[in-house]
Amino acid sequence: MDLPGNATLDRLPGLSRRVFIGGTALTALLAACGTGTTTTQSPAQTQPTAQPSQVPRRGGILKAGSPPPPTKVDPVTMYDGTAIAITQLVADYLIWLEKDFTLVPRLAEKWESSDGGRTWVFTIRQGVVFSDGTPLDAETVKVSFDRLLDPDSKSAALSAFDGVLKEGGVAATDAGTVTFTLERAFSDFPYLVSAGNYNALILKKDYASGGDIIGTGPFTLTTYDASTGATLTRNPKYWQQDRPYLDGVEIRFYADDQADLLALQSGEIDAQILSRPQLVGPLKGAGDIVVDQVPGTGLTAFTLRVDQPPFDRKENRQAVAYALDRPGVNTTIYDGVGALGNDHLFAALFPAAPADLPQRAKDPAKVAELLGGRKLSFALTFDPPGKDLALTIQAQLKEVGIEVELDQRTSADFYGGDQEKDTPWLFTSANLVGWAGRAVPSQFIVPMVISDGVWNGSKYANPALDEAARAYDAATTDEERRAQAAIIAGALHEDVPVIISVWSGTVRAYNGAKVAGVAAHPSSYVDFSEVTVL
Amino acid sequence: MRGFLLRRAATVPLTLLGVSLLVFAATELVPGDVARIILGREASQASVQALRDELGLDRPWFQRYADWLGGFLTGDWGTSYTLGVPVQDLVVSRLGQSLLLAGVAFTVLAPVAVGLGLWAGVRHDRAADRVISVGGLAFGAVPEFVTGVVLLVVFAVNLRWFPSGAQAPEGSGPLTVLWHLALPALSLVLLCTGYVARHVRAGTAVSVESAYARAAELRGLTRGQVVRRHVLRNSTVPAASALGVQLQFLLGGLVSVELLFGYPGIGALLLQSAVDKDLPVLQSAAMVLGLLYMVIVLGADVAYRLLDPRVRLGAVAS
Repeated sequence: MDLPGNATLDRLPGLSRRVFIGGTALTALLAACGTGTTTTQSPAQTQPTAQPSQVPRRGGILKAGSPPPPTKVDPVTMYDGTAIAITQLVADYLIWLEKDFTLVPRLAEKWESSDGGRTWVFTIRQGVVFSDGTPLDAETVKVSFDRLLDPDSKSAALSAFDGVLKEGGVAATDAGTVTFTLERAFSDFPYLVSAGNYNALILKKDYASGGDIIGTGPFTLTTYDASTGATLTRNPKYWQQDRPYLDGVEIRFYADDQADLLALQSGEIDAQILSRPQLVGPLKGAGDIVVDQVPGTGLTAFTLRVDQPPFDRKENRQAVAYALDRPGVNTTIYDGVGALGNDHLFAALFPAAPADLPQRAKDPAKVAELLGGRKLSFALTFDPPGKDLALTIQAQLKEVGIEVELDQRTSADFYGGDQEKDTPWLFTSANLVGWAGRAVPSQFIVPMVISDGVWNGSKYANPALDEAARAYDAATTDEERRAQAAIIAGALHEDVPVIISVWSGTVRAYNGAKVAGVAAHPSSYVDFSEVTVL
Repeated sequence: MRGFLLRRAATVPLTLLGVSLLVFAATELVPGDVARIILGREASQASVQALRDELGLDRPWFQRYADWLGGFLTGDWGTSYTLGVPVQDLVVSRLGQSLLLAGVAFTVLAPVAVGLGLWAGVRHDRAADRVISVGGLAFGAVPEFVTGVVLLVVFAVNLRWFPSGAQAPEGSGPLTVLWHLALPALSLVLLCTGYVARHVRAGTAVSVESAYARAAELRGLTRGQVVRRHVLRNSTVPAASALGVQLQFLLGGLVSVELLFGYPGIGALLLQSAVDKDLPVLQSAAMVLGLLYMVIVLGADVAYRLLDPRVRLGAVAS
């Protein structure tokens, strides 16, 4: 399940918006010009300057900018950051995902597992009503999940539940209890019914694709125009007492992220929904603009096909991994907000991340040793969001004598084709694929690197890893989980089917003089229920 | 004139048919699958195939083209694949926005550019001429999105005299709408003024040096009277043509300005629908713009004929 992130921000494949307006150079110009205000802030000061006061001010409208959703806003099939943000303001999940990846009860008050992690029982919060007055009950929750699990739903959630939960696995045991019966033991299952699986919103029983989105969230969707934006007003029936503080939220659409940024700088909007580290980085400390920053679990996988030359040789894959200057990548591509990757799929945020695996670093001597005098050259395929990283990789590998031919495709081409036969992102010999943050490592491991993974672009097959991945999902103790994580991470680090150079952080920019309580989220999610207008 | 209009009108349907075929073919040839774009890369292949079936994307191209053309001609422009809204409403609304921006820009551009061109032509090879000509060339050489960014930084971000977004809030009055459109319109005026002024200047410079202008002066008319009575009309002939070209650009070529100023015009819609392979939107928008272009070209030609009797009388090939 893909969470929204940088990979979903660029909606002009092949005709990058930066072609039109010059990209970061112009951003630097804008930053240099500042906003004309006198408030100053140190570059390191990336946390909100104004926190909600003890007695939060009520009222006011938050104006936020975001790219227009590329498709109709439908909670069942949505995948872009703006649509997710709008629906998250209107509807709730059983569980919210905090920015440190802890789980916070929302429509579910509590949950517990039995049968070794194959059965999960959720207690539904009582007294909650939808914004139109319809009461929430266990049957509504069941119907919401049945809708996602329907093989005809076209929801990306089907992929998230693949192999874990299938149609018929959800039952409303009584008015306040929902039972999930899984296909296999899965100890991280609560994450799959949380915001970590962004389609898993609880909607009314009669919701049909394209219909009105009515939820139990803090706001109601008042108007929506695919060209200009959305307006949301406070939901007086919201179940969290005294929330939200705002009277409403106005989301304005900007098809270009420079326009979004200029709107923030000029005071036309108060906050961005989706900020890019590269663009807002230069604004840190400029006037009233505050850039909140959190570590994330998003990544751009440098995938190498292990079943065909030149990367059928492990030494070639390792040589490329040792040729990369990862801190350089972090600075150049992520404005330094990321964390170094170590060619496995456990971000430091994941509790089971192995700590004893040596960090891979640039080592030209090791590259020469691994290549043994052989010349290595290959084509690297990517779509526009991967362009900057591709250029950086090309330059870095050239320094150690590895030639990279760049093969840029439009996003429509790169992700087009048949995923079982020929789509470039799964069938080219080397490619860059952006993966927005996941709540649990299994959401990366299972699709990407197990032998029959649905998005196994490297065609990597390792029975030991497959077994460890299954054991990891079924593990019921931290110790057991760490043991399996060490096996998985060790295999990936050694075999290098994918190179993870940096785990991207997430930023959110807002005007600290106008609003408080806006915060970044690893998956760019929004929770404006505690935002106040100053 | 009537024969000319009838001949030109007869070419319109054929040209539009050619445009629609060209756009359709180009969209077909570009790799990518609109069903995958709609559902995202993480939807299963089965879901994508189900949507393809739903949208009828696997039917032969001529069948899909014929269906679209039939619908378009009968007023049923279909529904946007990606946005799920009626195409006609979307295209008409976006076109209205573009017409508004283009209208504001053109209303400023036409008198300013013609006036500057006249002034430069009357004072050709003098300081004013050089300033106008070089200035026009300089601004004409700077892309509108660069001028736009500078205008935004100065007037929206630093001085805060104008909003950064060109889209006025719903229900705004005319003055607020104009206030929002000021910066994008100005960036377009700066871009286009030099081109139009250059054409007017050239015609004016030739006219003021012509035998009939000199004869008029010798008859005792002042330079101002000569310009008003004799030069102006000759200068407006190239102006009509140049303004027609600029108007075409203003209506459909504003993608970068629309994106930079967050303005939902038809240029941005055309680009996005092409990127998303949203064929019903792309085809309809292209047809409407194509028709508009032809109307503008025809208008410019008619103006050219009305202003220049030599063309009307057949001394100059039409």
